[in-house]
Amino acid sequence: MEQEVKLAELKAKLKNVIKRSVYVYRVDCGGCNGCEIEIFATISPVYDPERLGFKVVASPRHADILLFTGPMTRAMRLPAIRAYQAAPDPKIVVAYGTCGCSGGIFHDCYSVWGGTGSIFPVDVYIPGCPPTPGATIYGLGLALDLLQQKMKGEQYTEKEVARITSQYAGVSPDLARDIEREARRLSGYLHGRRITEKYLQFVREDPLAVDQKIKELVKQEKDSRLAEVYLSLHKIYLDYLGKTEKAGHHAG
Amino acid sequence: MLKLLKKALQVGEATVEYPFKPVEVAPGFRGKPEYNFDRCIACGACATACPPNAITMEYDLKQGTKTWNIFYGRCIFCGRCEEVCPTGAIALTTEFELAVASKEDLYYRAEVQLRKCSCCGEYFAPSRELEYVMSTLEQSGLPEGDRQGWRQLLEKCPQCRRRQAAVSVAEATGSRDRVQGGGQ
Repeated sequence: MEQEVKLAELKAKLKNVIKRSVYVYRVDCGGCNGCEIEIFATISPVYDPERLGFKVVASPRHADILLFTGPMTRAMRLPAIRAYQAAPDPKIVVAYGTCGCSGGIFHDCYSVWGGTGSIFPVDVYIPGCPPTPGATIYGLGLALDLLQQKMKGEQYTEKEVARITSQYAGVSPDLARDIEREARRLSGYLHGRRITEKYLQFVREDPLAVDQKIKELVKQEKDSRLAEVYLSLHKIYLDYLGKTEKAGHHAG
Repeated sequence: MLKLLKKALQVGEATVEYPFKPVEVAPGFRGKPEYNFDRCIACGACATACPPNAITMEYDLKQGTKTWNIFYGRCIFCGRCEEVCPTGAIALTTEFELAVASKEDLYYRAEVQLRKCSCCGEYFAPSRELEYVMSTLEQSGLPEGDRQGWRQLLEKCPQCRRRQAAVSVAEATGSRDRVQGGGQ
């Protein structure tokens, strides 16, 4: 316990002494190399962390910061411990990438210990699969207290039961489902959902003017593929209208 | 030398000023999944879809709660949760500054209430989910007269509903038997 307090003090001192120039050593504990590639992208001239003092070194004996990437695998556990012991105290341990933070997608593999935290006391976690160069610089800045932490753990509790209505309120659920399904089939879930939202907005605003609005949209649209998607959605809408009208006639 | 300088001036600066200025993210960048508690119906589709089990869902039948939990330290930013969410409660943002000093800050939790069965008194499903079912039924044109019946149905747990259906079937067949028996 006393040693831990001492280490914390030393670490605070280290942050004072090193100010901005730190040596980083990366330890690969069995990752897929995605993180390594991103680290090398970070030390390229585009992000140039050396202007902030970060330098990647080839030996843990020079290092102030140890960057552990990859899930802690059985085979790489000992080399990781050796690298940790070789680095002079006080040192900053950074868990890099989703695997480094918690074992990531490999967390329940038989040969995985589960993240850097399972063996070493971690100072900073940098999630991301892999973290982008921006996230890397942010995380390293956080490790040296140069930048502010943005994430805060959150807890929501439901006190009163809220009534959640459908995403596309005001449109028949059948129509919304058919249109979303087709939009997703044609252009993927992400753009499909956006396109659906836009299309159903027309339906919601004025069901009578949909035809005209879609024709205008298609005329203005530069991307012919998107225009095609809108037209096929419009076909579904027209079919739906025909069906409901028929049903209405029968009922009448 | 002069040639090189000229070229350097022409090309300009390649380095981005990231920590001092915000960096531009590419379109379609998959960053932190943002959770909207007000739209979540606690159906658990995201927890089922999540490949690394970053999103988990737990029932607490004694307390009557269902807990949604995301651990950003395990998220691989694949976007499957966004894909399957039926109400659009979770969506990926372009936020990438996720580094934290303590692991606790990587957890987001949400607790929703379960509904108590009106028949046996046990908790069975999130109230929000049942309300969502009800509002969808209303939107698709459920007549005003049928609403009360549907609402009563949604207040019962599946087991009680099954039992009730079995009893009513038994009553129906039993009465028919009796009728047949009476005829003989």
